Amino acid sequence: MDIPTIFAILIFGLPLAGFPFVIAIGYIRKNYSMYLGTSLVFLSFLISLFVFFNYTIKGVVIQYNFNWFPSPTLPAIVPLGIYADHLAMIMTLMVSFVGFLIILFSVGYMKEDPNRHVFFGEMVLFTSSMLGLVLASSLLMLFIFWELVGLCSYLLIGFWYYKPNAASAAKKAFIVTRVGDVFFIAGIGAAIFYSSGSAISITGLSAIHLEWQRTIVSLLLFGGAIGKSAQFPLHVWIPDAMEGPTTVSALIHAATMVTAGVYLIARVYSVDIDILTTTSLTVILYVGIVTIILSGLIGLVVNDIKRILAYSTIGQIGYMVAALGLGLGATSIGLSIYQLEAHAFFKALLFLAAGSILHAVMNVRDINKMGGLWRKMPITVTSMLVGALALSGFPGFAGFFSKDSIITASYGVSIFAWSLLAIGGFLTTLYAFRLFFKVAIGKPRSHAAEQAHESGWVMLIPIVTLAIFSIIFGIFQQGFYNFVENRQVSGVFGIAQLSTTDLIPVILMLTGLAASYYVWGRKSSIPTKVANGARDFYLLVKNKFFLDVFYTNVIAERGVLGLSAVSDGFERRAIGGLVDSSGRLFQNSGKLLRKIQTGLARQYALLILIGLVLALLLLRIFILMGVIH
Amino acid sequence: MIFQFSYLLLSLALLMVVSIALRGRAARYLTFLFSILVFTFVVSNNMTMTNFSYGSLSILTLSFQLNFVSSVLLILISFVGIYIPLRFKSPPGFYILLQFLLFSLTGIFTTRDFILFYIFWEMVLIPSFFVIGIWGGGNKNYAAMKFFIYTHVGSVFMLLGIFTMYFSEGAVNFSMATLISGMSSIPVAYQSFIIFGFLFAFLIKLPSIPLHSWLPDAYVEAPYEGTVFISSLLSKMGAFGLLVIFSPIFMASSFSGNPSVPIAIVALGVFSLIYSALVALYQKDIKRMMSYTSIGHMSFITIAVGGFLYLNGSDQLASQLLYYGAVFQLISHGIIIALIFSLIGTLEGAAGTRDVMSLGGLGRKLPFLSFLILAAFLASVAIPGFSGFVGEISILLGSYAVLKYYLIFVLAGVVLTASYHVFALQRTIFGPYNEFLGNITARKGELIAAVLPLAIIFFLGIYPGVLFHLFNIHAIQYLGGGK
Repeated sequence: MDIPTIFAILIFGLPLAGFPFVIAIGYIRKNYSMYLGTSLVFLSFLISLFVFFNYTIKGVVIQYNFNWFPSPTLPAIVPLGIYADHLAMIMTLMVSFVGFLIILFSVGYMKEDPNRHVFFGEMVLFTSSMLGLVLASSLLMLFIFWELVGLCSYLLIGFWYYKPNAASAAKKAFIVTRVGDVFFIAGIGAAIFYSSGSAISITGLSAIHLEWQRTIVSLLLFGGAIGKSAQFPLHVWIPDAMEGPTTVSALIHAATMVTAGVYLIARVYSVDIDILTTTSLTVILYVGIVTIILSGLIGLVVNDIKRILAYSTIGQIGYMVAALGLGLGATSIGLSIYQLEAHAFFKALLFLAAGSILHAVMNVRDINKMGGLWRKMPITVTSMLVGALALSGFPGFAGFFSKDSIITASYGVSIFAWSLLAIGGFLTTLYAFRLFFKVAIGKPRSHAAEQAHESGWVMLIPIVTLAIFSIIFGIFQQGFYNFVENRQVSGVFGIAQLSTTDLIPVILMLTGLAASYYVWGRKSSIPTKVANGARDFYLLVKNKFFLDVFYTNVIAERGVLGLSAVSDGFERRAIGGLVDSSGRLFQNSGKLLRKIQTGLARQYALLILIGLVLALLLLRIFILMGVIH
Repeated sequence: MIFQFSYLLLSLALLMVVSIALRGRAARYLTFLFSILVFTFVVSNNMTMTNFSYGSLSILTLSFQLNFVSSVLLILISFVGIYIPLRFKSPPGFYILLQFLLFSLTGIFTTRDFILFYIFWEMVLIPSFFVIGIWGGGNKNYAAMKFFIYTHVGSVFMLLGIFTMYFSEGAVNFSMATLISGMSSIPVAYQSFIIFGFLFAFLIKLPSIPLHSWLPDAYVEAPYEGTVFISSLLSKMGAFGLLVIFSPIFMASSFSGNPSVPIAIVALGVFSLIYSALVALYQKDIKRMMSYTSIGHMSFITIAVGGFLYLNGSDQLASQLLYYGAVFQLISHGIIIALIFSLIGTLEGAAGTRDVMSLGGLGRKLPFLSFLILAAFLASVAIPGFSGFVGEISILLGSYAVLKYYLIFVLAGVVLTASYHVFALQRTIFGPYNEFLGNITARKGELIAAVLPLAIIFFLGIYPGVLFHLFNIHAIQYLGGGK
């Protein structure tokens, strides 16, 4: 192993090996684990920087494999290892950087929690699992870290385990993502089988030759991505996951977890451009689009500040998925990953700002109980404005460059898709600014909001840093595309060429901005009127298109629990009954025959006589019938 | 110098006699020594497949073999022999019965003679029967009797199978090697009866649905130390039988290459997985719930065995994944289920109940116990980092070659398994604390003892190669055609 390989392993290995110490040191003093955890992730960021620059100078993809199972001496069956190319590196940089900022913010946010040593340990494990996922060289290793990411989200969503909501949200997240995970397992199994074993490492995927086999493999892998990246129809876990601490939501939504699915598809797409066939591309594109529209509509009627952000995440991930589904090869990956990173910055920003606000208003998450916070906490809310502008794609902000490029690129693929993506942008603006106006301006609508005050510097530094990145990230656009698509490092600065089709999303966005001010920025009865006017549609959206109801009531309670009750009844009545009654059969026949044993010699003699007569009779009958000669 | 198997058996028997003679607490400590002897035996004979032959006694051949699967299982035996005395303070009689059980199991996993195999196989019933019957719960007599009769019915068919082999082949002794190699020479009707007899006996012991109904009662009514060894070791008898006895018989028979029996085995495994998960989901008694988990875990082994018999050496990678996965699952499940049941024992000792509905929020009062339960359950769900993952994922990946689209049923079973684990976790350690439980504490010693299996589970999960690295592999002998 050479130096860059060791360093590349350390990127995730250091926090992974360090997380038990983070928890352990907390038993000496709780604050130590905060410092250790933060510095571990920071170190990991520094190492990623080193590896990144080393790569830009030398341009050698770091690859290292070893045999994990069954034995180092046998021929490789299950290899694990790292594969650090341009795509993986640009991701590690983002994950470790944003992860670091979020953990730094947690130092302020969680400083009074009695279990904060466990919290920081889990956050470090979470970040390191995501880094490991990004650097994985085989689908199985990717899956291992994928599951660890899921495990961490389960533990962190349920971090406040004594809250019933948190416990049930953690359960929901675990099971729903597990549904996606099993598709991933099937995908790996299919890939290994169809490539006669070579696809156990990612680069071996190109050994799958037939079109239908590629379709099956890619769709199964995409099934895993749907679960993790909260796409329709498996997006239902993410709004409930807001029961965890806000910094956890920030980490799940920005740096880790939900981006894992997008990364998985980008990863397999980048090593083998043919793996996504026309069929799977179409499925991917339209799953993304349906998700965008659905989440945009629901985001308009939700009142919980964190849930609005959750639905915005679902929508923005939808853009990444749709970008991959456009099927433009390396261009698609560039578009998608650029959106992923821009989104990481402004979504982390929005969540941390929301966390800062919630910290100030005693965790009341209803935006109807906020208002007028701009004056109370100017830095936080101004940063939130930056986040909202970036989210809705205001020209000049990161979201504009990332999202509108996707919309424009889709114009060449399908006008239908393009129009839906543009409408999605309009909806994004509406809910983003509904959130912002309700939080920031007007009069405080609750006692807690009146008492709000600005947070401490340890929470403001990450927020402001992220705000700066949300503004300036656009200037890296061209350099980013070059790096991801062509593996070139020339031209760090510069933006992609703008065209006239770019105008339409901008106009829609500005209309949305004005409309949301008109509706929610001032006192107005329009929301009520619209809700009453389109009652049925409003109820449909308000109930989240009845998907949650469908899953909980129909599938879980009627379907699975019903089946389970039937099996339990079958188990006890039929199988248990059959075994018991066969036991009783022998006992009862014993009881019956026992009565013959009376102990009276004359009865025995009688029986013998009867038996003898019967035997002789039978013998005679047999002889007459010719059975016995 | 080779550690002779005869020395091992003799010294184990001697230890038992000493335990009985000394009475009192000595039996508990001698059990440690007992396990250490077994462990030393395995480790000192690790390099190749070792055969021990000690002549014959009329028709009995005294030949034993330490192969890969039996090495793994002997290690599991020594683990259980160390863990139970470490964790439980049981009456001396229990430890004598435990030693007797471990002795018989050592015999089962090593002997290469069918009659000895049958004798050891039946010897296992005696201590289990008494442990359930003497120290069991409220319904102990029923459970003990059901367990005894049910599993005995299975062994009878196995015995008939053995005799069919012996007499129809006209063999001179009961050596496994001779009898198995003569399989294809006898009439097909006899062959199918032999295959049925062995399969029936092993599937009862495994257990596979619908031959499982002795299990929940036996597990629930047995005392916790009894549940630990029954779940950890007795289920391995069936798995060992399938892997080491049944597969060679099947491959040597003229049914080899015929897919119908392997398909039936795989289907039974898949059905067991889903069915056990569904039934477990409905249980309120956490001990009963976890006994169905055991069925679910063992059904992966059924799937794997059926799978590689079906492949019949046609897909090398898939066969190896299935075979290694199954062997790994043996030890992994043995340790995980031992941990789970002993933790439930601690839980019941602390809270006074094991009803899921009357627990809740234990994370607040018993943080360390909650951590252990969480870790054990996650290991059981097969989260990476725990040993359960390695066996399960290998079998899942390998079985795609067998099942293709039907893999969806296995995966549904995996999701259901995860669901009831998470459900049980939500009701026991998460959520608000159930104040009716009062102020509860767990015994420190029991918690510390549970760290040992957890450490092994972690270690095997992170570095699974150690199992294959320490013991040079001779497992492939059953792959790629009948040998």
